Amino acid sequence: MSVRTIARKDLADAGRSKMLWAVTVVVLLSTAGITGLLAAGSGMAAGEVFNFSFQLAVTMLPIVALILAKGAITAERESGSLRVLLSLPPSRRDIVFGKFLGRTALMLVATIVGGLATGLVVFTILGGTVGSLASFIGFLGLMSVAFVAIGVGISAGSASDSRATAVAVGVYMIMVVLWNLILTAIQYGAVELGLMASGSQPGWLQLIGLFPPNRAANAAYRATAQGQLFGTDPFASVWLPVLVLLAWLFVPVTAGYLRFRDAQIG
Amino acid sequence: MTDPAIEINGLTKQFDDVTAVEGVDLTVESGEIFGFLGPNGAGKSTTINVLLDFVGPTRGTASMLGLDVSDGRKTLHNRIGVVPENYGLYDRLSGRRHVKLAAELKDADDDPDELLDRVGLSENDANRPAGEYSTGMSQRLALAMALVGSPELLILDEPTSGLDPNGARELRNIIRAENERGVTVFFSSHILEQVEAVADRVGIMNEGELVAVDSIDRLRQQLDTGAQVTLCVDREPDHNLGDIPNVRDVDVVDGTVRGTCLEPAAKLRFIDRVREVATVTDVRIEESSLEDLFASYTREDIGEDTGDSHAEPVVPGGVAQ
Repeated sequence: MSVRTIARKDLADAGRSKMLWAVTVVVLLSTAGITGLLAAGSGMAAGEVFNFSFQLAVTMLPIVALILAKGAITAERESGSLRVLLSLPPSRRDIVFGKFLGRTALMLVATIVGGLATGLVVFTILGGTVGSLASFIGFLGLMSVAFVAIGVGISAGSASDSRATAVAVGVYMIMVVLWNLILTAIQYGAVELGLMASGSQPGWLQLIGLFPPNRAANAAYRATAQGQLFGTDPFASVWLPVLVLLAWLFVPVTAGYLRFRDAQIG
Repeated sequence: MTDPAIEINGLTKQFDDVTAVEGVDLTVESGEIFGFLGPNGAGKSTTINVLLDFVGPTRGTASMLGLDVSDGRKTLHNRIGVVPENYGLYDRLSGRRHVKLAAELKDADDDPDELLDRVGLSENDANRPAGEYSTGMSQRLALAMALVGSPELLILDEPTSGLDPNGARELRNIIRAENERGVTVFFSSHILEQVEAVADRVGIMNEGELVAVDSIDRLRQQLDTGAQVTLCVDREPDHNLGDIPNVRDVDVVDGTVRGTCLEPAAKLRFIDRVREVATVTDVRIEESSLEDLFASYTREDIGEDTGDSHAEPVVPGGVAQ
């Protein structure tokens, strides 16, 4: 009950933030816009254009989701409205999960609107199937929510908003910008240490490759396009990356809550 | 209701190597208006933060309405109303939406407009986003949220900060009205006159310790600086006025006769005596200020100074000194 009330309050409050919407609109329009240019001028097929937009979206949406979520708790902590909420019956758990629900709803609205806009652009110019659009929006949505979960978790676990911002940017850098490099480094190190043969792709290495939500979403999207729901290779199937994404929904928020539960709100 | 409204036992709170509160014991009975006094940094807010479960105690226990402040928190917070210190509002949400939020979270069916009207916010104010509110309006809104759900206990942390004198008076009226309804009110302040005007009892915090708990009258008696009575006279008397019982430091200057009266009856004796020898044209009486009282508990340097002539006690039977 409290969770839902707080989620609705958060939607009403954060939903009125012009800055938030401006960032979202700019990012989503640029995604749809670039997709439109590509669809009109490149001679690619609809499927390829969707693929390209998906790549674009998995690099853009995480930062939008993180920015949208990282202040969920810390902003209230700094403004003092958290003290008002905590003076009322809701527990810290209610507040964290209510905030997660509220920000999730916001992010989903943005993702669905942006996804539909992109789909509409592609359909109008090139035509295509509704099925491909559904998995396009579905996996982007799931990934966005995973990053909202990470952002809310960071927010719950941080004492100040600037700290939450720094951690959120760090997470973006590691998971989205640098993961390829990290993966290569791990691979190189493992070969040097004799843990694996050069050029091979052991399961654990592929799992590390699948670890960030953006990469898991990408793998799931590709596997869906290839019809590999439950293939013999789990890394080329839909179920394993989806499992990874689902884990991202719960683990960061829970970890953040546990830190917040013991925090001193002085 | 036999449970005390607030019961604190041996409360100590340390932050790293700073002891914010040390060994505080305090019981606030149901139905009281209790003023929690002390300078900034004395440990008032930390004590209240423990009561509200914002921070956990290092040692000791605290309960309100018979419920542990941490274990019974959810039930408890349904039955209390709070204006926390340094609270913030949602700048983008209207005043009415704030009260509605509190009502929803407390599962109460209060009419937001009625509560807003009670604290002096108009319907027009209620529709405006709280970000446009002045400090005083924010304070009123916070109070309206605290009154949601007819709480049994009101905890107000520095509720008068940001209120103009008129707003402070209205707040006192609300506190009295709630108290008449049977509500216990616990409020903190570093401003004495706010507390003096409404509190049945006060507790004074200084440097993390509760240094005094008593009614204001009794505290004043303990301090005993007497009242300064100034009489304007048509001509300065040349009689000796130094022998009036319980009147000290009689002084004749600039057409006035001044004296410090240690008890109420001494004031009348003093006036009567002066009127025997001169015509009194005006009377001014200044009670020993609570500032002095407050200062005596919260300033370290005063301890030795009270040994001067001002500390002479009232003599039973009124024997002249």
